[in-house]
Amino acid sequence: MAAHFDTEYQRLEASYSDSPPGEENLLVHIPDGNKSPWHHIENLDLFFQRVYNLHQKNGFTCMLLGEVFELVQLLFVVGFTVFLANCVDYDILFANKFVNHTDSSKVTLPDAFLPVDVCGASIRDNVAVMFVLMISGVFWLHRLIKFIYNVCCYWEIRSFYTNALKMSMAELPYFTWQEVQARIVEIQKEHQICIHKKELTELDIYHRILRFKNYMVAMVNKSLLPVRFRPPLLGESVFYTRGLKYNFELIFFWGPGSLFESEWSLKPQYKRGGNRLELADKLASRILWIGIANLLLCPVVLVWQILYAFFSYTEVIKREPGSLGARCWSLYGRCYLRHFNELDHELMSRLSKGYKASSRYMNCFLSPLLTVVAKNVAFFAGSLLAVLIALTIYDEDVLAVEHVLSSITLLGVCITVCRSFIPDKHLVYCPEQLLRLILAHIHYMPDHWQGNAHRYETRDQFSQLFQYKAVFILEELTSPLVTPFILIFSLRRKSLEIIDFFRNFTVEVVGVGDTCSFAQMDIRQHGHPAWMSEGKTEASIYQQAEDGKTELSLMHFAITNPQWQPPTETTHFISQLKERVQRETTGDRQTLTSLSGSEPRSLIANFLAGPPSLASLHLGRDGSLTDHGPVGVNDGASALRSLSVSSTRGSCSSAHRSAGHASFASRAMPGSSTDARTASSGSSVWEGQLTSLVLSEYASTEMSIHALYIHELHKQQSGGELSRHTWHRQDSDDSSDSVTEEGGSGGGNPNPRNLIPRSHTFPISTPISTPGPIPSSNSGPNPDRGPTPGQEVTPLQSNSQRRYGGNTDSVGPGGRVVRSERVPMGGWAEQGRGGRHPDTVPEEGSEDDMPPNTHKVT
Amino acid sequence: MNCRSEALEVSVEGRQVDEAMLALLHTILLHRSTGKFHYKKEGTYSIGTVGTQDIDCDFIDFSFVRVSSDELDRAIRKAVGEFKDAMGNGMDGMGQISLEFYQKKKSRWPFSDECIPWEVWSIKVNVVNLANEQERQICREKVGEKLGEKVINIVEVINRHEYLPKMPTQSEVDNVFDTSLKDVQPYLYKITFQITDTLGSSVSTTMRRLIKDTLAL
Repeated sequence: MAAHFDTEYQRLEASYSDSPPGEENLLVHIPDGNKSPWHHIENLDLFFQRVYNLHQKNGFTCMLLGEVFELVQLLFVVGFTVFLANCVDYDILFANKFVNHTDSSKVTLPDAFLPVDVCGASIRDNVAVMFVLMISGVFWLHRLIKFIYNVCCYWEIRSFYTNALKMSMAELPYFTWQEVQARIVEIQKEHQICIHKKELTELDIYHRILRFKNYMVAMVNKSLLPVRFRPPLLGESVFYTRGLKYNFELIFFWGPGSLFESEWSLKPQYKRGGNRLELADKLASRILWIGIANLLLCPVVLVWQILYAFFSYTEVIKREPGSLGARCWSLYGRCYLRHFNELDHELMSRLSKGYKASSRYMNCFLSPLLTVVAKNVAFFAGSLLAVLIALTIYDEDVLAVEHVLSSITLLGVCITVCRSFIPDKHLVYCPEQLLRLILAHIHYMPDHWQGNAHRYETRDQFSQLFQYKAVFILEELTSPLVTPFILIFSLRRKSLEIIDFFRNFTVEVVGVGDTCSFAQMDIRQHGHPAWMSEGKTEASIYQQAEDGKTELSLMHFAITNPQWQPPTETTHFISQLKERVQRETTGDRQTLTSLSGSEPRSLIANFLAGPPSLASLHLGRDGSLTDHGPVGVNDGASALRSLSVSSTRGSCSSAHRSAGHASFASRAMPGSSTDARTASSGSSVWEGQLTSLVLSEYASTEMSIHALYIHELHKQQSGGELSRHTWHRQDSDDSSDSVTEEGGSGGGNPNPRNLIPRSHTFPISTPISTPGPIPSSNSGPNPDRGPTPGQEVTPLQSNSQRRYGGNTDSVGPGGRVVRSERVPMGGWAEQGRGGRHPDTVPEEGSEDDMPPNTHKVT
Repeated sequence: MNCRSEALEVSVEGRQVDEAMLALLHTILLHRSTGKFHYKKEGTYSIGTVGTQDIDCDFIDFSFVRVSSDELDRAIRKAVGEFKDAMGNGMDGMGQISLEFYQKKKSRWPFSDECIPWEVWSIKVNVVNLANEQERQICREKVGEKLGEKVINIVEVINRHEYLPKMPTQSEVDNVFDTSLKDVQPYLYKITFQITDTLGSSVSTTMRRLIKDTLAL
């Protein structure tokens, strides 16, 4: 540049004090001063999680106490075990050896204890014991440090509650999470917790708290995780334990070298399709190492599990031997049944409501053979027991005879077990109805269960979700042994699929970071045509969530968070569905008495009327009888209508006070045991809380009806053709093989070759509504495929939201997802890079063609 | 995460690196600086003036405006110099320099003060190698044009109405602004750089994360 413009606008050197005369009066600013400590929080994920945890644990003190006791318990378990193993002279206890007492002949407990020095020596000599002690010492110290760290962190959260949210710790248990959340949303306007947007939405908070859980739910939904096995003798079974889950999370989310670089962002190389094979190799070797580490640590973990199980369950078993026969929702079940964006307490209360019906359902299936055997065993055991007890009553010296006491105990246990196999004579079961009732609460079930409720196959499959507690404990105990092998042999083979999954289903949302795209609950992206989103969805089979998860999750979220404002098309879907449901329920009133209505109507009628035994009672009831006695159909339906018509909170509560009036619709449902939180404050007199609780009850009822309705509609729609919705999706193992050779990523399909469009054909063969739809699977065999039509259209994106699978979304100002072009995913970043390999003068526009890295600035 | 991130990317010749970097960094800082605050009684303050200065580049057909503060200029030149040294005088390579604006937050005793970033600008640099003088001439113009675009981009971003730390009171001014310079007062900033594709984060951050993760509930 030849021409030098000498334009140096220098500061005025003269006025060094920087205030020309009179300026003091002209320009005076007042600092904002509003220095709340809560603006601009660094790690919002952690922050919201802690806020949620503190709420779930009922405040700071409860949490603190709980943690302290846990620490003490740990010390006790280890200390007591070591003591029992080394410091007790069992010969004295069993009276094999006599104690030479001078004064009395009674053996006291302290006699059996070895002296401290002997005991200490024996501990010191025993290498294994020292090893265990050391390990647990390290473990305990770790817990202690963690505890102290947590106390500091949660103290901050506590002051957030009291100062910013204006909720004192004493009142905290009486607030529902929705209320806490509403306040957080409110104070965002004032404090700017999150700097990306002016206002937070409920979905943002959920996304942050449940980021990883959503991924897990999606992976289970797409049958990506190896949790189903076919061991030789046991048949098809599910193995998913806490240990396994921990390892999965370690590998994917937070362990060293995991796929995520921080809580909120996937590592950039995993977002690009180019070196997926390489990354898959890396992941596979990492899984191998973690598997080996598991194998090495297995003795330690095993000992720990056994000790823990022993101390936590023996007491329970002694107290109520039946408890082992009781059931619980399996870990897999919780993953399978969970909606996207469903918090723990929501899931738990839903599942607990379904518990009773589920156990009744499971009790329908008592094998007649076993019953006969059990009856006879119980008879013989009972007679023996009776004799022994009679003898004891006659003379208690009988008890002193060796083994009499223990045989009495054993016989007692035996009888209890047998009795659980003998059905109650006075109960009548109707499995189909029960299953429907269960469905109303758990919201998901494979298609082929309907109509097959009475079959053993259905029962067995249901028992994978709802297992015996004993089985649960047993699985937990064997988990340390089995986990390494699952990791090494089954998960490792899936590494490529996993890499593809994370790339295809991760989406960057402004203000939230990388989340699972399923969790956006976008019908268009992930809807399933067989689940009400016919015509609205554009998802390929690979992208569709199975079992109607997207649709049901969306309904669930919209119902639990009425203030949430979904994107327009979604709103449309929701309102349409609500309208239909409402119409059906209204129609019910007329058709109810005859019970002649076809599927959905009679279904809802049945559902609202409660179990079959109650149905007849309610049938004759007309609409005017709402204010006394049990709640009938009309009551529930009308309350529901009022709810769905006025979904804003204010008008709702008033509607409820009149319509609901101490009669929750949920009472129509048997087994709707409210969760602890509801129960605890149900008795409290606070009007406000009460209404919000009533609201949440209504919401859950409404959701139940919607779930039933959607399922019913789905059943009608899909008709005979159910092939795709197989419960097992057994192919998951086979497909992993096919994947490794074909490089495709069709995890959840019976028949990937036919159903999943291969990437090199797909972009051409699909109708192009938006330029260049995404192929569902990546270009495995030919990663360097030439630029496809969609590629040229990659312009500068507005960049608020990007989908790394290739299609590109952006979130508009209100957090709405605005769609822009979709791009095929095979290594576009790399092609861009190749385009401007630094050999020549950088051509014009070359930078602009590389979407991900350039020009975030728009 | 709770911070905006903006990315820029430029391809330049080896000798243009520092000028290009200076141009971009100075442009950003020009908009992220205020005059010195002078606090008065009753919690009010007045703001001093900021001088600006046109700078012409030697190797690029480009000139830019910067805050006429020699101290600030020195600090940035130093950082850019280090960056250039780290890139080496090798023929071509990749690097990333990032300018991070943060604010400090006082924490209670067991933890040290947190520095929470609210805006990060990362500038990716590709160094290309040119064969002859003619290409250099073309490059000189092209890079100039590109830089012009980037400056417009930067200004657009800054013009958006987005989060900025609130104006502090006198006691807290150090938590938001860098008050060490005597003639200008930029927001607290930090310049870091990364060379080539060391895609994985550095060892120290991994360790820190590991510890934090194990401690988390």
